[in-house]
Amino acid sequence: MTYHPPHIARLVIQAQGAPEAELTVAPKSIHDVAAVLHYATEKGLNVQLWGGGTHSGYGSPPMPDIVMSMERLGEIEAWEPGDLTLVVGAGARIADLESKLAGENQTAVLPEVPGASTVGGAIAAGVSALRRGRLYGTRERILETTVVTGDGRIVRSGGRVVKNVTGYDMHKLNVGAFGSLGVIVSVCMKLWPVPPAGATVTIESLDQASVIARPLAVLEENASTRVFLWGTHDVVSALSARIDGEPADGLDWPADPSGSFVWSVRVPPALIGEAIIHLPTGWRYLAVHGVGDIRAASDDDDGASELRSWVESVSGHLVVVKAPSSLEGFDPWGAPPAGLELQKALIGQFDPARIINPGRLPGGI
Amino acid sequence: MTLLSDLQNALGEENILEEPIELHIFSKDASLMRGEPTCVAFPQSADQVAEVIQVAARHEIPIVARGAGTGLTAGASPIGGGIVMVTTALKSLEIDPDNRTAWVGAGVINLDLSTAAAPYGLHFAPDPSSQSACTIGGNVANNSGGAHTLSEGSTTSHVLGLEVVLADGEIVLLGGTAPDSPGLDMKGLIVGSEGTLGIVTRALVRLLPIEPDVRTLLLDFPTVEGAVATVSEVIAAGMVPAALELMDQRMTTAVENWLHAGLPTDAAAVLLAEVVGELEDVDSQAGQIGEIGRANGARDVQVAMTEEHRALLWKGRKSAFGAIAQLAPDYYLHDAVVPRTKLVETMKAIYEIADRYDLTLLNVFHAGDGNVHPLIAFDANEPGINAKVHKAGDEIVAACLRVGGALSGEHGIGLEKRDLMRIAFTEIDLDAQARLKEVFDPAGLFNPGKVLPAGSRCFDFGGVRREVPDGAWV
Repeated sequence: MTYHPPHIARLVIQAQGAPEAELTVAPKSIHDVAAVLHYATEKGLNVQLWGGGTHSGYGSPPMPDIVMSMERLGEIEAWEPGDLTLVVGAGARIADLESKLAGENQTAVLPEVPGASTVGGAIAAGVSALRRGRLYGTRERILETTVVTGDGRIVRSGGRVVKNVTGYDMHKLNVGAFGSLGVIVSVCMKLWPVPPAGATVTIESLDQASVIARPLAVLEENASTRVFLWGTHDVVSALSARIDGEPADGLDWPADPSGSFVWSVRVPPALIGEAIIHLPTGWRYLAVHGVGDIRAASDDDDGASELRSWVESVSGHLVVVKAPSSLEGFDPWGAPPAGLELQKALIGQFDPARIINPGRLPGGI
Repeated sequence: MTLLSDLQNALGEENILEEPIELHIFSKDASLMRGEPTCVAFPQSADQVAEVIQVAARHEIPIVARGAGTGLTAGASPIGGGIVMVTTALKSLEIDPDNRTAWVGAGVINLDLSTAAAPYGLHFAPDPSSQSACTIGGNVANNSGGAHTLSEGSTTSHVLGLEVVLADGEIVLLGGTAPDSPGLDMKGLIVGSEGTLGIVTRALVRLLPIEPDVRTLLLDFPTVEGAVATVSEVIAAGMVPAALELMDQRMTTAVENWLHAGLPTDAAAVLLAEVVGELEDVDSQAGQIGEIGRANGARDVQVAMTEEHRALLWKGRKSAFGAIAQLAPDYYLHDAVVPRTKLVETMKAIYEIADRYDLTLLNVFHAGDGNVHPLIAFDANEPGINAKVHKAGDEIVAACLRVGGALSGEHGIGLEKRDLMRIAFTEIDLDAQARLKEVFDPAGLFNPGKVLPAGSRCFDFGGVRREVPDGAWV
């Protein structure tokens, strides 16, 4: 065991499920986060951020020297139901947070079946709720972020109001950035009111969903397609009756498919049906209609290369969310994104020693 | 080669303006600050935008991009000179009804996009009051909002991709129709960057289905407090109306004198509420909003029963700024946001500031978002008035920030609020933003002196705080 200075050593914990690392720490304050990152930059140690571990399979497998768990930084700092705003620590578990918000009939519109996911993890990985077609994705709900950069600076962007155009939207840039522009420590989110009733209508064909202009969600799985509705009791029952299907009370959200391999298929929304046809045999899927977001799982990677060729030919993406081991000759993100040099330069300004999740982003940066 | 001949070679003589009277027209946007353009260029394509950028780089002269010039913060005023690059000729428009998206040239007018999308049952959600004049390029640059931002968000939530010309002249496509492009969301950074990071030539925008039904309500209140309380309670009841707009008595009086939209001029405040959705839903929500309003003292609740009536109510709202001309030749429109729960106290503070400075101040604003737009009507020829208007304006912004608000909700920072950025952010925050700018625009030629106060980059901390630069006519 290498020597670490006391201000770092006092943060050492055992993080359940986290990968092996020389040092596993859980900061108790934003200043602790800054101290750890400062230390890591100085020593050239790689840092993997750890929330619930649900997005740890994205990108090239990390080889961290330090695992930084955000579990002690999950408090609600401010919540004004009347303003529809919430400031919360990145380490908050989504399930716990949403159940608290539900007490005031509000939601942060984070993933509905999050498992152990944390707010910070969902934002860093850029994953969204199944309701995103109606209520927009996670990116659109972020009003402010406070991050600690790789070299230990505390940077805030945005503001704690629902509408704001003050300065550059760095907080949007942090969504899906896997911490490369800084570790998200706290975030202000725009909440949404939850009406009193919900219903789920099982349909045979997508045409049946078209009688509702903007349903909460239309989700297709291997065996069923369902329309999700919400509103007052009267409105929900009137709308369910209008759809020619099998209605059930409540919103029964499906979990993302699971398996040895988990994939994210992203295509133009109009091509989602075609994308489903292109999925290799045996793949389980959950498709969000109107968005072009398909979450899929399989027991092996047979057919993945062919699928990627087709998906990329329609300007989509096939992303590896989880794989049992690194896939030979198969980039976890696919073709490198536009403006890669600019992305590298941006990251260079915030993580100059490239210590936070190095190599995990598209293009291996 | 001179700058002018280089530009004329690149774009053709007909696309370059240089006569003093022509330059004067492009010397300012809709704000009060004027600069002096070196020349004005009208590129006809993204390639020509790239050529202008390369010419500008060779001559080390700034580029100030501009659409229709409806901006209110001097973001498109060429303070300190430079090439004013007008993007209004970039008018391509390809609607993709199946994906509910459109690739739109930066010069397309906001309302023209929705008009073109209407036959497909679609529309573009951001609807600034200037939507019949402002361009998509300007909307992207300022992350424009509008009355319907409450339920659908600002421009950034409706931009899925961008074609951007970078400082080295490279044309890049960011984002796309498929969701969640892997990698850093650079288009999200460029939206709202006010022409300081690159020049947007086309935007891939989201189009929303036109809702099957709409109810527009006008509630009239004997007190501003009653109107504001109604806004809060509507949202607390689980509704997010498409719009919740508030006009105070001074404003309704000005509008009625001119437009005769049927606004009650004896009400302290009127609230314009709009709900959209399925028939059953809009009827239910309209009923609930009416009840909440009455419980908060509304004397009358009008529900527009015809499209004509609805259009008239909205005309009253959207033409409000035009109505100011009868009161005074000039106006200074503010834009700040406060938490909705602080609206009543903020309104009181704003009235108090205006009274103290003896200024005519009217209010029409997006109450649902807490986005206030206090408007000061004045005559710029009155000696000493400009200083008074600006002092009052700064106090209003400070009052909004004190209750946890933001500097701007939808107009942007530009030059007008640039130096107030220091109140909203720490030196380290501003340094981070300056680093982003530096990565995109190392030579500092894209709209210099806007958004970030001088000395934002840490290494020149301690420098003299620069006020509005010389040559600006305020």
